[in-house]
Amino acid sequence: MKKTYYLFNPGRLSRQDNTLKYTAYDEAGAEGQTRFLPIEDVADLYVFGALDANSALYNFLGKNGVSVHFFDYYEHYTGSFMAKEYLLAGRLQVAQTGHYTSLPKRLVLARKLVEGAAFNLLKNLRYYQSRGREVGAEIAQMELYVAALPHATTIAEIMGYEGNIRQTYYRCFEQLVRVPGFTFDKRSTQPPQNELNALLSFGNMLCYAACLSQIYHTQLNPTISFLHEPGSRRFSLALDMAEIFKPLLVDRTIFRLLNKKEIQPRDFVRELDGCLLKETGRKTFVRVFEERLKETIQHRRLNRTVSYQHLIKLECYKLTKHLLAMEEYQPFKAWW
Amino acid sequence: MYVILVYDMKQQRVGRMLKLCRRYLHWIQNSVFEGEISEVKLAELLAKARTILKEEEDSVILFKSRTHQWLEKQVVGRERSPLDTIL
Repeated sequence: MKKTYYLFNPGRLSRQDNTLKYTAYDEAGAEGQTRFLPIEDVADLYVFGALDANSALYNFLGKNGVSVHFFDYYEHYTGSFMAKEYLLAGRLQVAQTGHYTSLPKRLVLARKLVEGAAFNLLKNLRYYQSRGREVGAEIAQMELYVAALPHATTIAEIMGYEGNIRQTYYRCFEQLVRVPGFTFDKRSTQPPQNELNALLSFGNMLCYAACLSQIYHTQLNPTISFLHEPGSRRFSLALDMAEIFKPLLVDRTIFRLLNKKEIQPRDFVRELDGCLLKETGRKTFVRVFEERLKETIQHRRLNRTVSYQHLIKLECYKLTKHLLAMEEYQPFKAWW
Repeated sequence: MYVILVYDMKQQRVGRMLKLCRRYLHWIQNSVFEGEISEVKLAELLAKARTILKEEEDSVILFKSRTHQWLEKQVVGRERSPLDTIL
């Protein structure tokens, strides 16, 4: 399987001999070791540091179907270079748009997406409940919201429930992470106010980019979404997909990192009015997140092992089938 | 499939072989590459290698293994190029 490469150090990426050459710089601007990345082995690139590159490189990446995701200093996802669409399907495009413009059809999908997300969130809480954390009240509260979902008649209402479910879920965070130095009052973004919020923002962003990469390899149009409002200049379908996988990919990763003390308060930097991950923290996070994506589970219906990364793609296929009226979409629910 | 590829080439052809292998596998030291590769990609690589090498003078040797886990790698001395994906 092709690999994802994460570029943290500032450096220059160039095309040489029909493959990729990466030269790292140090602070003084002196060139470090060069590495050749085999183009046939690169799935996508995540760029966190300063990267020098020219259009010849992007032409080359485009031809080889490698997308590049960019993140700014404050760890926000800033955008992607996406290779030319290689899987085009007019019929699906029309169906996807149709499902967006028709409110009843859109409601069905939006509801299912929230239902799937809520199920996976509850799964996380139940796991910790079985380990003696007091989260019973929150679980009951979240179940009430889920039960109310089928009665929602507008997208805004569904989004409201989604927000309520998450808010209730976040209330448990302090219970789940019992590590000194990490407190959680409420979810805050742009900028995150404390360490846990910084981790959540960083993780959600990685999850968003991972979903986008998988959508690219299907025939779905990443700009037309169902739960979130399709905005301009953003791939909102990736937000829809990320909703379902965040509890498994991001939250579980965070709990592991903190409870095993792999990330500690010293991996953060407090600045002006926010809190950010330092490079050491980012690298640790990315390493564990990557492991998580590669982790495999036994798929019941396919009867073989699949990785979490592949699960995202399978989710896209299910959505495609629903759009083409072949099989009703059932959101992914963690069964283990 | 996880492979280790080593080649021995006459000097005038060695550069071309190096460039070819870099596109598919990770360079670890002179004339030695390793990495994860699919059957098809390996066949492609070998087909291209055959156009470069002269069978009576040069050779390419492959060590194949089902997965990376089954390979125990030990480096004595300086590791010239790590295979990390976090750069």
